[in-house]
This record gives sequence, C-alpha cells and structure tokens, in this order.
Amino acid sequence: MKLQRSGARAVAVLAVLCLVGGTAAIAGPPGSQPVGANDFKVAVEYYKLPNGLRVVLSPDHSAPTICVGVYYQIGFRIEPRDRTGFAHLFEHMMFQGSQNLGKMEFVKLVQQNGGLLNGSTRFDFTNYFEILPANKLETALWAEADRMNGLAVNEENLKNQQGVVGNEVKVNVLNQPYGGFPWVDMPQYANSNWYNAHNFYGDLKDIEAATLGDVKNFFKTYYAPNNAALAITGDFEPAQAKQWIEKYFGGIKAADVPPLPDLTEPRQEKEKRATKPDLKAQRPAIAVAYHMPDRNTPEYYAMGLLMQMLLRGDDGLLRQELVQKRGFTGTVNGGINLLGNTWNYKGPMLLIANLIYDPATSPDTIVQAIDGVIEPLRSKPVDQATLDRALVKLRSNFYDTMGGPGGFGLVDLLASFALFDDNPARINSLMAEYQKVTPELIQKTAQEYLRPENRTILIDQPQAPAPAPVAAPAKN
Amino acid sequence: MNRKLLKEILLVLEAMVLAVSPAMAQKQTPPAGGPPKAFTLPAHESYTLPNGMKVTLIPYGNAPKVTLDLSLRVGDVNSPDDLAGLSELTAQLMKEGTTTLSSSALAEATSRMGSSLGANAGSDQSTFSLDVLSEFGPDAVKLLGDVVQHPLLPESEFPRLKTNLLRGIAVATTRPGQIAAARFHKLVYGDHPYGTILPTAENANKMSVEDAKKFYAANYGAQRAHLYIAGKFDSAAIKKTIAATFSGWQKGPAIVQNLPKPRTRRALDVTDRPNAPQSTIYVGLPVPNVTSPDSIPLFVTNMLLGGSFASRITSNIREAKGYTYSPRSELSERYHDAYWAEIADVTTAATGPSLKEIFGEIERLQKEPPSAAELQGIQSYISGIFLIQNSGRGPLIGQLRYVDLQGLGEDYLKTFVQKINAVTPADVQKMTAQYIKPELMTIVVVGDKSKINEQLAPYAAAAAENK
Repeated sequence: MKLQRSGARAVAVLAVLCLVGGTAAIAGPPGSQPVGANDFKVAVEYYKLPNGLRVVLSPDHSAPTICVGVYYQIGFRIEPRDRTGFAHLFEHMMFQGSQNLGKMEFVKLVQQNGGLLNGSTRFDFTNYFEILPANKLETALWAEADRMNGLAVNEENLKNQQGVVGNEVKVNVLNQPYGGFPWVDMPQYANSNWYNAHNFYGDLKDIEAATLGDVKNFFKTYYAPNNAALAITGDFEPAQAKQWIEKYFGGIKAADVPPLPDLTEPRQEKEKRATKPDLKAQRPAIAVAYHMPDRNTPEYYAMGLLMQMLLRGDDGLLRQELVQKRGFTGTVNGGINLLGNTWNYKGPMLLIANLIYDPATSPDTIVQAIDGVIEPLRSKPVDQATLDRALVKLRSNFYDTMGGPGGFGLVDLLASFALFDDNPARINSLMAEYQKVTPELIQKTAQEYLRPENRTILIDQPQAPAPAPVAAPAKN
Repeated sequence: MNRKLLKEILLVLEAMVLAVSPAMAQKQTPPAGGPPKAFTLPAHESYTLPNGMKVTLIPYGNAPKVTLDLSLRVGDVNSPDDLAGLSELTAQLMKEGTTTLSSSALAEATSRMGSSLGANAGSDQSTFSLDVLSEFGPDAVKLLGDVVQHPLLPESEFPRLKTNLLRGIAVATTRPGQIAAARFHKLVYGDHPYGTILPTAENANKMSVEDAKKFYAANYGAQRAHLYIAGKFDSAAIKKTIAATFSGWQKGPAIVQNLPKPRTRRALDVTDRPNAPQSTIYVGLPVPNVTSPDSIPLFVTNMLLGGSFASRITSNIREAKGYTYSPRSELSERYHDAYWAEIADVTTAATGPSLKEIFGEIERLQKEPPSAAELQGIQSYISGIFLIQNSGRGPLIGQLRYVDLQGLGEDYLKTFVQKINAVTPADVQKMTAQYIKPELMTIVVVGDKSKINEQLAPYAAAAAENK
C-alpha cells in the first residue's frame, strides 16, 4: 500500500503479460462503429444511506469485471501535527486485520478471487479499492464494510508496518537521486499553512513514534460512513448492488467527524527560491510551482487549459522552448497535483513544472527561458488555435483518466466528485466548463496565477562526488 | 533515458503478508459470490499488405478514443556492438520531423489530435504510437506513416539528442535499481546487445548522425512492421487510409535473428554505494522461454514463489521480517529468451539475511509441493487478472503484440487460462527444482560495501568455487 504518485515505483506482479492503461469498457462487435465525439457520457446513479455513506453506481456491461472503491475524506494534509506521515501509516494498518479478516486475509481474499487491490493516501483522501471478476462484487462489498466497521490490529502489526513504511520511504526517497523531488519537497517550500506544508511522507522518527492508541483514535475520528464515498463501476446490476450495500454498510454507525481545519493559503506576494542539496544526484534539477486558483472556479478551468498549453503534448510551450529550442533538457515533467490529477483533490494545490539539466546551464537561464514562455500568456490573449489544441489535449487526457485500468479511473473520479462536490454526475458536464474558457479569461488567469510573485523555485543541487560508472563488462 | 528493463506495468499492488491468524469460531465467512461470467477475447481482424506489413484492427470500448501502435522488429538487438543505444537514438531522431513536416509542425499536428507521438526502442522492437480522439483516426494513420517512411533525420538536432542521451546515462548511473539491472544484464548476456541496457558515455559519444541514417536504412521497412489499432474507429475508413498510406512502403530488410547465449552460473557482483540505507538485490538465472512446454507451469511457479502479492518470498521478507517494502520476482522476457529474477531493496543490515530467506523459500518449494489450496489460490488469481489484462486499448494491443513477437499464435491467449489451471502441485515443485536453482544464480547487489561485504561472504565463497 502506498502513498501513490504518478510514475511511482510500482510492484510488477505480471511478468509476462502487460497491464497498462486502457478503458473500463469493452468490446463491441467488429466492424464499423459510429465515431462519437463530444457527446460521450457515463452512467451515474447517486444516493446516500441513512448513515451518510455516499454511494455512486456506474454500470457498464461490456467487460466481466467490477471495481469497488471506498474513499475516506482524510488526506495527509490534516494528520496530527506531531505525527507526520501518520495518515499513510494508518492506510497500511487498514490491511492488517478487521473483525472478520485477520492479517493478510483481506489480501488473500481478493487475490484468490482473481483480483487486484491497493490503497493510497493523497492530499484530501485515503482510498481503498479492488478490481475483481464481476461475480465477486458481493465479496468485495462485504470485505470493505467489514473494515469500515472496525479494525482488529495489535502492536506486532503496527511494528511490522512501521518497518515496511520506513523501507518505503528509503526506497522512494532516501536511497534515490531526486528522492522526493519535487513531489514531497515542493509543497513544503511553496505552502505556508502547516496543513499543506508539512512532510506528508513523514519524518522517520514520527512514523516510529506512532502508537496503537493513535491508530484506534484515528480510525474512530475519520473512518465513518458519513465521511466516506463508495463507488462501483463495471459489470453489475444496480438493484442487486443496492441490496448488498444496504445489507453490509447499512448497519455501520455514523460518527461525529470534526470539521476540516482552515486549509487556505494566503495570496503569495513574493517569489520564493530555495536550494536542496542532493547527495545522490549528478545532474541538477529545477522545479517551479505556482499556486492554483480555487477548485471549480472559472480560473481553475482556465488554469487546467494553461497547464495543457505549457506541459502537455509535443507542442507544449515549455517543451518547445526548453527541450527543442534551447536543449536544456530532454523532458519537462509536471502538472497539477503530482499525486493524482487535475480533478481528484479538494484543497489548495500547486501547478509544478520540473526538469533535470546540465551543470553548465545556470538556473537563472532556465528561469528566464520559462519567463519568455509565460509572459506572452500574461500580456495578451492567447491565439484561438493554441487554445483549441489545449482543449483537444485536455479532452483526450480526460477520457484516458476516466478509462484508467479495470474501471478504477472512473471509480476515482466518481468517488472524488461525490466526496468533494456531493455531485458525481458532474463528470458528464465537466468538459463543458472548459469549453466556456475564452482567450481573455486565459490571460486574466495567467496574470494573477502565473505571476512571478506567485511561484516558488526549488533547485535540487548535486553534492556528491561522482559515483563510479557502471563497471566494464566482466570477462568470463 | 528511462530504459524499461522490466515491463512497465501499472500494477497497483504492494505486498503485505504473513501468517494468517487462526480463524475464530464466531467470525463470518466472506460471501463466495456468484458463478463466473463467460469471457472471450474481443473480436479483431488481422491482415497483411502486399509489401509484408501486418495490420490488426481491434474495435473496442465506449470512449471516443483510438490507439495506434506501429511496432517494428528493430531494437537493441540490432545495434552495432560498439554503438549500444543507437536504436533508441534513431527512434528519437525520427520524431524530429519528416521530409514534408518540420518538427514543430509535427508537434502541432499530434496535439491537434489530442496526443503526443511516442517513439521508443526496446530490446527487440521499436514502437511509434499515437493515442488520439476517435475523429482523428485516419489522420493519425497518415501521420504515423509519414514518420516511419519519410523521416528527415536532421543533423541539426543530433547533438542535442546525444546530450539528452548522455544526461540520461548520468542520471541512470545514480539510481540503484538501474545500476543493479545493468550489472545483471551484463553478467548474464555479456557482449550480446541484451547485455548493455545502459550504454557508456564513451560509446554514446561515438555515435554520429550518419550512424543513425545507416541504422534506419538497414532496419526499417514494411516487412518488419505491424500496425495495431484499438478503440473506436470507422473500420472501412481506417482500412482505406492504411492501404493508401503504407502500400508504397518498401518491403525493406528481413527480420534478423540474433539469439543470445545467456550464462548460467553462480556469480556475486557488488557495486559500492557508500552510505546507502538499503541494498538493491537482483538475483536470478536464465530459464526456458515462452516457446517451451514448461513455460506455463513456470509462470505459475513464479507467481506463487515471488510474483504476486501474497507470494512466499514477499510474505517472508516483507510481512514476516520487515526487511523491504516492494520485493518481487519476475520472468523477464525478450524474443525467445527469458530469465527469472527476484528483485528487492532491503534494509542494509538485512542484506545477507534477505538472500538467505529468498534462497530458503526457493529450496522449500524444491523439496515440497505447495498445497492444492495454495496453488488453486494462485491459479484463480492469474485467471482473474487475465480478464483485466484483456480490457483496455493499450493492454489488448500489448497482449496481441506479445503473441505476435513470440510467434505463439492466438491460440495461446484462448487456451491460457485453461492451461494455467491444469498445472499441478507436483509441476510447481518440479519447475522449481529443475530451473530455479540458487547455486546457479547470478547475484547482483548495489549497496554500502563496508556494511555488506561480511554479510555476503558466504555467497562470495560459493561464487569463487564456481569460477
């Protein structure tokens, strides 16, 4: 179970046959198909149980699989102040035993029924999901309800998972060049509200200090049906699913969930710059982060399109300038919400661009080149052709996000929209919001949010002696 | 350069594991679920153009998207001995414009379709891909056709791409996982192209644009190409565009066979990484490839031993011992070639103990077959996962491309689940005993030598005896 991010280390369990990307839907008959464009919609049925659990059903009978996701509105932002990394450590504990399933039994139950499962901890939620053959829906619902009902974990489980999480931090951060750069680091430099600015992977000392009392308290506080959303996609009958949901989740008691703390970030008035020494890297890297407009405002949609213009596609303005024209780097990475996507978060967020470059290039030269791309967006309305391409890229990207593997991409969006907006059906009107964006709104948004004063620049500076190159071939 | 050595797989899992706690009498039993639903491979159509290029069309899904993947039998395996990485550099150079489209015009064209142009060279294949909105399907065919048939291969862009390659090498040599994989490949494959997954800066510096042009001329052509199209598209319009776009392509060079002679023997190879908090272990040996009748039982054996979430090695070194976060074993494949390896980043102090546990789990399975229940759990897992592997445009193309590359015939996919479920506990024991032999494994470790040398001493001695 992981604190997941795009491109993060993933455990490969399928050695021969690849499983990559794709859509949740499946085969029609061969031959000509009508080619739809803007009118693509997915089924969405939404209701709440009396205990407050938000339920989203999106059946699609084209593949004999289902995906079940349970999302709790407890992200790492709001973990306890003296327990950095605790939301993520707790996520691991959700696999260590519940009332009817002992340690490892949850994992074996899913695996032996032919399924995949995982959990992840993000800014504004912690999620748990299973992808299974369609005939195992009831099994998955029973198991998720069982752990929503209560945990049965002990000191030994906690100690073991503290060790596992410690190794997770080592393998993803401490033993890597650019470890944590910029996805763990940047929020700490760019944000000023502790909730957004602490080390959410966790200080190893904090992780080790966690107690079983902390685990129980955290569960009691946040893991309640009225703080959660359940989404199901794939090959199932809604009437039958509703009966099972009522049967297994209906009896779980609601809790008094504390209101969210104040998560707002003040308007940034001065550019921030910082350098982080890196003992494991040979080449420097730079990241630039801008605070995003509030979610679901007109400026938010405009910023989504600005991100497409700057960072997506072969025509991405930063790629064209920094890669093609100036040759500073081979790739410019980045986006909105590096631990997810433009849509699956709620609180304050950053748009980040980052790249690895050569020591001969000064970071100031790179920042100047970035300014050369961004300033025109602020000084005049963007041309319609560029905006049109951004819209097409965004729409294409949205369908792929929605079509994430085994129905999980759709679960993720529906559960996020249920939890954050109380309106999962907005998945079908989302693209229309982007289509409203005008070149003037793009300019206005760029003026405010792509201001140099609204950004943080972080440099990952190598400090290691060059390691030995990979040795010459062994002679045998 | 982010060379993919291991197949990049989405995979969601992570491990947990340990002894199952004894079920208490009052515990509920999970509902078993209904009877399984039928599954068949999505219908698709394959044909060959007169010039030898193959085409496979897979109508699929509801979303208005279509994925195009033009795979060619050209890869690392075709790179000249002293120019490892040339196949990748050539693929990158092909993105820099065609004889009629400048690089920036090409970039705008792919963006207008909602895609970017993928160009990657792997061990045996290079792939050029687009993933576009459905209405642009035929345009995407034309564009791919232009890129592979009429690349500009501009000299002006070559130094920049070479600098990118050198930067990629420099970055890769600081990542412990990439160092370990590179050492393992070097030890197992030696001077064969599979042995160099990380070119040296010296070799990269030798390459010129002339080398790339020669490489293109010697390796690209219709009879090495296979175009896969999956998603929502107008079949008649796409076929017409394919014929118009590719019929004039030269047949080109025949596929070159260059099978490796991987080495099987105990070796210990340690790369020093001072102050590393973990040791990266890569331990394994060549095994029969997918054309062998043993490949299916070996596949099941790998899943049970270390290739799945609740597998034995993962249960042991993660959930019982807490040595590591993300251990895995895999059957790594190339054209008619395969090796088995366990890969794990373990706490430095547990380097020797981890190897002991890994070998211990292997030896336990050599001596004693798994229980029928344990095996059945793994078989159910593989059967269920197979459904997910056959859903999605990318996964479907991946499946068919794999079968085509290895020359297996589609019957392989149609009978896969049935064959998986025919494997017996005795087969698993036999596969382990016959093929997964610790005493013949190459052991690669990247870690802090001053702290791990002593832990590795027993394996060093065994390696020395073997020389």
